[in-house]
Amino acid sequence: MSLENVLNNWSKYRRGAEEGGHHDYEHKWAMMINLDLCIGCNACSTACYAENNLAVVGKDRFEKGQAMHWLRIERYWDQAEQEFPEQGASFLPMMCQQCNSATCEPVCPVAATYHTPDGLNAQVYNRCIGSRYCSNNCPFRVRYFNFYSYYESSWPEPLNMQLNPDLTVRDKGVMEKCTFCVQRIRVAKDKAKMENRKVGDEDFKPACVQSCPTSAMVFGDYLDEGSQVRKLWDKYQVKMGPAKQDKQEPDMRGYRVFEGLNTDPSVLYLERVREKV
Amino acid sequence: MTGTINRRSFIKMMGWGGVGTALGGCDVPTTVTLEEGKEDVVSYLMPEEYVIPGVGVWYASTCTQCAAACGTQGRVREGRVLKMEGNPNSSVNSGKLCVMGQAGLQGHYNPDRIKEPMIRKNGSLSLVGWDQALATINDKLNAADGARVAWFTGTISGHQKVLLNALLESNGSSKHYVHEVVGNKVLQAVSRDMLGDAMPKYRFDKAKMILSFGADFLGSWMSSPVHFAGEYAKFRTNKPRGLLVAIEPKMTLTGGNADLWIPARPGTEAAIALAIANELINAHNKDAAILPESVRNLIGQHSAESVAKQTAVAADRIKRLAQLLNERSPSLVLAGAPVEGQTNGYAATAAIMLLNHLLGNIGQTIESPGAFAFAQLEATTGGTADLIAFTQNAKDKNLDVAFFYGTNPVYSAPDALKFGDALKNIGMKVAISQFMDETTAQADVILPAASYLEDWGTHVAAYHSEQPAISMQQPLMEKLYETTRGFGDVLLALLQNKNKDKYGQYADYYAYLRHAFSAMPASYKENPASEEHSWNAVLQKGVIKVQTTDESLSTSIAEIDTPTIPASDSAYPLTLVPSVRLGLWDGRHANLPWLQEAPDQIAKVVWDSWAEIHPSTAKKLGIEQGSIIKVSSKHGEVTLKAVLLKGLHPDVVAIPMGQGHTEYGRFAKGLGVNPLKILAPEQEQKTGELAMYATNVKITDTGKKDTVVKIGSTDTQMGRKLVGTVPVEQVRRTEGA
Repeated sequence: MSLENVLNNWSKYRRGAEEGGHHDYEHKWAMMINLDLCIGCNACSTACYAENNLAVVGKDRFEKGQAMHWLRIERYWDQAEQEFPEQGASFLPMMCQQCNSATCEPVCPVAATYHTPDGLNAQVYNRCIGSRYCSNNCPFRVRYFNFYSYYESSWPEPLNMQLNPDLTVRDKGVMEKCTFCVQRIRVAKDKAKMENRKVGDEDFKPACVQSCPTSAMVFGDYLDEGSQVRKLWDKYQVKMGPAKQDKQEPDMRGYRVFEGLNTDPSVLYLERVREKV
Repeated sequence: MTGTINRRSFIKMMGWGGVGTALGGCDVPTTVTLEEGKEDVVSYLMPEEYVIPGVGVWYASTCTQCAAACGTQGRVREGRVLKMEGNPNSSVNSGKLCVMGQAGLQGHYNPDRIKEPMIRKNGSLSLVGWDQALATINDKLNAADGARVAWFTGTISGHQKVLLNALLESNGSSKHYVHEVVGNKVLQAVSRDMLGDAMPKYRFDKAKMILSFGADFLGSWMSSPVHFAGEYAKFRTNKPRGLLVAIEPKMTLTGGNADLWIPARPGTEAAIALAIANELINAHNKDAAILPESVRNLIGQHSAESVAKQTAVAADRIKRLAQLLNERSPSLVLAGAPVEGQTNGYAATAAIMLLNHLLGNIGQTIESPGAFAFAQLEATTGGTADLIAFTQNAKDKNLDVAFFYGTNPVYSAPDALKFGDALKNIGMKVAISQFMDETTAQADVILPAASYLEDWGTHVAAYHSEQPAISMQQPLMEKLYETTRGFGDVLLALLQNKNKDKYGQYADYYAYLRHAFSAMPASYKENPASEEHSWNAVLQKGVIKVQTTDESLSTSIAEIDTPTIPASDSAYPLTLVPSVRLGLWDGRHANLPWLQEAPDQIAKVVWDSWAEIHPSTAKKLGIEQGSIIKVSSKHGEVTLKAVLLKGLHPDVVAIPMGQGHTEYGRFAKGLGVNPLKILAPEQEQKTGELAMYATNVKITDTGKKDTVVKIGSTDTQMGRKLVGTVPVEQVRRTEGA
């Protein structure tokens, strides 16, 4: 069961790393976030609440770190020693990075978290027993555990009528996380299949990408060489797979958070640009 | 109806490319045959017409969560609207939507909506039917002197405005007060006087540099956050990359994204601008001949060195800004709320906007939006001058009947205005509202409003973007409560009482809109031969693009009063900044849980109220993060916790607006404090707007502490590369930025 999973995942990852790609995936959904355009406005995060039936936990539970924000905007100050943050703030939209060698996967005792043929890091809610090992092992802290059943407190009638029927409402004891809007992926794939064609960039966007007022986020299939996201990864000379990036132009923007941990994330960030006045 | 929603009432959907059915209370012919009493079991094998079980369909409409009039699309599945997104056809938001627009669903499905009309009898409210409520109002209106009837609304445009104007006319009244807490009325007045247009087009895409004096265009400036965020993206992706400098008392979202953020005490901005003007003329040979002599003299009095002493912004920095503005042409200089919110806000705003003239930006990055073809539909934007005027009129016992819609003055009026007392002088107060907010709770007649996702309407954005348009609002689903009515329907019902001949022909507001559309010139119709086809096409697109006739801006710079720097008050040494939280806005969205739980963009605090203080000020006062403090002005005090932030001028204390509701449903009531309550009732001298940044306050520590509930436990990256940063020079080399 899970040992086999671990070995399979590991060999898949190593193959990807050594041969420079993930060619045995059907798709490899990936993202690019340009931090020079991210203004930290929360539109993506709220869109995620609306799309994915995220529970509102309230102030007290938020304080305990039980918020369910699959996509959160972190804000950092980089000039700690100065009296005023004259460079402004640094914003970071952080969601599940859909790592190719995800640290959350091998520790699940029941294989509730596994890798899909789309390269997604999936969570099987029905299988989850709530050990929370995965969340403990995630360096990005993007897995959220249902410490309570939020159905009544978060969606008093008729707020429940807003719930998206394309996905479930998770109950107490279950781990959940960003899925890259897998429900939208599924609809787009089905539609493309019916029309006997490949899924393209225009077929769908995850809710966050769709809402971004500055278009700082780009989403698509990394394996599709014509996709916008692939072109951007190539432009910024970041490859999915290899343990070590080898940029022809080392000064080119483009990095993955915690690259050194070698989890091979699917989200490429572009550095924020700053002009010194 | 008792508030339970049965399957049938929401499965009923609209068809025809989104042509809605929400005809006040009428049942729509349905393909589902329902046995009496068995309506909860409807088989998907026999779905409603136009409903494909399991398939979501997107219908175009318009967002009314703020006054921006963004085009939206709502995803409707099995008769329920589930998700809001931007409509790509609208050039206001180009397919994008902000936090507030996303959360509109929670207003629509809010558990605290008012479901039935109410009338106050002997002090307590009782439920009545619409007929009785309207009859009560009409009796009063028929007996009242029209000049003593007032309407008090938020920003209004489109055919709702046309009907409201007709109603006022039929009453012989011109008393329409338009109130918004977040608006830029002073800047509009300055632009109107200096450029001949209150809302010129600001071309961020052409600007190589933007110097913002408190103009939070990514948040609240010009009430169009999505539009300007899109423009900002163009500005930043231009080659060369645009440079953004922000000078403001509290770091706004715009300041947080600036290349250089400079703290300034409110009221000192104009002096800085005049010193920059001085530099531009004397060091960079800008032509001062375009300015009247008195303005030249005023600029002459503001050298970089003298202003540096007054404002603590270094002379070198002022000179550098002038140099950059000179080099990066064309540029844009913008003024916002902290500048406008002074008692001499008009003069201060004018002194700042003057830089655009001096820099030759007029016609380059500031353009005329042209004349909109349907002037009667254009937006009437709100401000705070009307709040004060209304209060005075009510105090003077000049009003017998007042209608309230789309605004909550009992909440937003400072205590010192004594708005609540003034209201008592009005014989009948009618509130058309979705929620029991503070104003509605004072009303004598309460009319339950349909949500914006259940209503018809047309909207015109006050700020005309590239393609000015009439944005169509259509119901995205059947009403949740049959006993609510749309705003247009209420106006029409009241008009029919006054003018049966003219308005009796319309069964409802939808019929009125159809009629109004059919009267539009043929060029606005996709297929002039088929009215039905043209109407459906318009609803599908969501916008009617409107031709504009070219106009050019005038440049007339009259005298500018000397913008004086407000004197500091030793008893009240700090200035209060009532800041806008993009989400809660002026407090209207405090009842939406998503927005309460969405962290403040800069402070990252959730749910609560807090006072932002610079660490150096806090240290002097012995205050720590989480200390419970009293912030008092001469007009009141609020008690809340302190949040230490460096993005603040040390002489200010910033309290975000939006909390402190005494009514407004389970999510908002009793949470936090309302900084508007302790504002001094000072007015901007020229426009009469409330001077919102002119209240002096002091802080006292209560000795108690509480935890600050926020996202993230660390404020720095601790040496990790979470948000990478590169200098622009590097990107110029690698990407040609």
